[in-house]
Amino acid sequence: MKTKLTWKIWLWLIVLALSLVSIFITPNFLQKGVLITNVEQNSSAFEQGLRAGQVITAVDGKPVTSVEEFSKIINSKFPSLEKIKTTFTAKDAEYVTYSNTSSGIIVSKLPLTNLKLGLDLAGGSKALVKASNHTLTASEAADLVSIMSNRFNVYGLSDMKISTVRDLSGNNFISVEIAGATQKEVQDLISQQGKFEAKIGNETVFRGEKKDITNVARGGQEAGVYDCQQTASDYRCQFRFTIYLSQEAAERQAAITNTLDVNSTASGDELSKTLDLFVDNKLMDSLQISASLKGRAETVIQISGTGVGPTQNDAITAAQDNMKNLQTILITGSLPFELEIVKLDTISPTLGNDFLKYILLASLISMIIVAIITFIRYRVKAALAPLAVCISEIIITLGIAALINWNLDLPSIAGILAAIGTGIDDQIVILDESRHKEESLNIKQRIKRAFAIILGAYFTVVASLIPLFWAGAGLLTGFALTTIIGISIGVFITRPAFADMIKLLDKENAS
Amino acid sequence: MSSFYSQHHDFIYKDISLSGGTSVTISDGTINLAELSKFLSGKLDDANIRGVSDLATQKQIAVIVETRSDKETTQKVLEEYLKYPLNDKNSSFEFTGSSLGDSFYNQLLIAMVAAFVLMAIVIFVQFKTFVPSLAVILSAFADIFMTVVAINLMGMRISSAGIVALLMLIGYSVDTDILLTNKVLRREGKTLNRKIIESFKTGITMTLIAIASTAVCLIIAGPYSQVLYQIFFIMLFGLMFDIMNTWLTNVSIIKWYAIHLQKKKNEN
Repeated sequence: MKTKLTWKIWLWLIVLALSLVSIFITPNFLQKGVLITNVEQNSSAFEQGLRAGQVITAVDGKPVTSVEEFSKIINSKFPSLEKIKTTFTAKDAEYVTYSNTSSGIIVSKLPLTNLKLGLDLAGGSKALVKASNHTLTASEAADLVSIMSNRFNVYGLSDMKISTVRDLSGNNFISVEIAGATQKEVQDLISQQGKFEAKIGNETVFRGEKKDITNVARGGQEAGVYDCQQTASDYRCQFRFTIYLSQEAAERQAAITNTLDVNSTASGDELSKTLDLFVDNKLMDSLQISASLKGRAETVIQISGTGVGPTQNDAITAAQDNMKNLQTILITGSLPFELEIVKLDTISPTLGNDFLKYILLASLISMIIVAIITFIRYRVKAALAPLAVCISEIIITLGIAALINWNLDLPSIAGILAAIGTGIDDQIVILDESRHKEESLNIKQRIKRAFAIILGAYFTVVASLIPLFWAGAGLLTGFALTTIIGISIGVFITRPAFADMIKLLDKENAS
Repeated sequence: MSSFYSQHHDFIYKDISLSGGTSVTISDGTINLAELSKFLSGKLDDANIRGVSDLATQKQIAVIVETRSDKETTQKVLEEYLKYPLNDKNSSFEFTGSSLGDSFYNQLLIAMVAAFVLMAIVIFVQFKTFVPSLAVILSAFADIFMTVVAINLMGMRISSAGIVALLMLIGYSVDTDILLTNKVLRREGKTLNRKIIESFKTGITMTLIAIASTAVCLIIAGPYSQVLYQIFFIMLFGLMFDIMNTWLTNVSIIKWYAIHLQKKKNEN
């Protein structure tokens, strides 16, 4: 017997197919390698033209198919005190870099789908920041976002999202999301106001402003990590980099140093007071001033500091990170407000992976239970249809999420589950209505009655979810969004198709 | 409930996502919970410890510590006990400042009230009659209210996710109520009791399925995430109360109303 599919069923099948395309056809479909998620600016790799989004297939001629393989090669070479050569093979070309400070490249597994997992599942850091002792206006918040984005760019992190968030009571927050593993320094970059001051005694010589500092050296001979020493408990490495003062600042320094005495020490003649470097009013380092600088308007100044770690490599890395942090502050200037982190989540990527497996397992088992109960209750073939409809609803919701680049976080997944739950409820209503054969109504009318109930429930649920879009600084938007997408797909695409299927089955039975 | 409010000056026990504090998940199966708990008392403010076990092997795979202390203090104290540094490979931190927690909580309460008002408007527009609409709204309110009371009695701390779960209850609650009201009041023919029994059959299948799948999700995915644990736990209770509220209270109101309508018709 030939069954003709209705346009509603066709629509459902087409949307389903498009969703599968949207989820699985990635830009790097069927490719092998690792995906670059971040390239540090000013790194050798960046200068050679490597960028986030490219796919690395080999390092130094060795093929790379996983992040582990990539890290193994890189970690065996860096950190190193000498500059060494590394060859990266990408899809289109080879890039040769010379560097001593790791590769500057952060990679991730080539994604199999276009779905983006939220930080609470994929790992990463998420922070909500507000100004302490000040209520940010929308435009102040926007300014802060641009300064902070600049900071992250100068620091070399591009794989992050930074935006302003407004909550129900009109407070403005800045939300920063950084994917993947993150360093402790990121927290500093977010919350540090970055007020830099160099003082001799109580007098300020220069500040971290464009007016005082005209240029900050970031590489080559003028910046780097130099001496490493072992102490009783750990290793300490020193970093040094050159900054260039404006004439005005240099003369201020000359006037102040002119008043100081000269002391003779074992390491040479030095001035009686040190140049003290403060970041946000905290002393970072004190530098001896050579006697030859007394009263001289010197524009080239060496800034230094230390990094501490349990091993020498850790100390080198710490010193490099501290140097980068300080350079970033000096280049981008201080923030106009003192900031406070009101929420900070750093989620380990390992836990997220396990967790996703269990969510899938849980959904699978619950769907089987649903199928069993509906089968027991209705004892018809049609009872198994809800299962197919459910799975298709999940696929279509995920397809839309991939299409609009939505980050699937935990609340979003809860939303999908909620939508499936209502979906099943609705299908039971349809199944039930369609079975009341004793009535004088035909199948079409019976299904129409089912939809009266379904639409009623639909609009009620949507209404109750709308306030969540604004409450809680956007942290629960995902839940509201996926639930609404999910139940809308259900009511407008899959349920009509399901109802038509029931009608077809009904006809088949009748004939 | 009112005695709870007068004791705690609030409706619920709030967890750190609403009151401010730090939650740390440490992926380490060798931590002794009792020992850690003893070590932390006095060092961390209001510390709460829970183990996470693998579903298949029942072996402990992680420990979750919740405290009102801030992130730095918590990390320092924990590292002191563990004798190794916590980093983004072996641990997850979630910190919420107390000011944000407070405003978060207030906003979720506002969202809840707003959701209720919007829901009520949609219901009234749908049924255009006062009593049945009120019955639906009352039943949703009763579901949420009873769930909150039950959770308070168990001493469970509610997180922002828990409040979302309470919102989700509105959806599941109105499903069955709308079904009942629609079938009983809007359809001709059949006796009143017959109509009620029919909608009961459909409605109870819906709710039982929801309960069964929520329970499965709670058992499997719950242990791994505070967020999902709260959502499923609260939903499970809410759904059970929904059976009671819909099929005892709501049904009585609708039945009374239907008989009342019938009488009116007969009088005319």
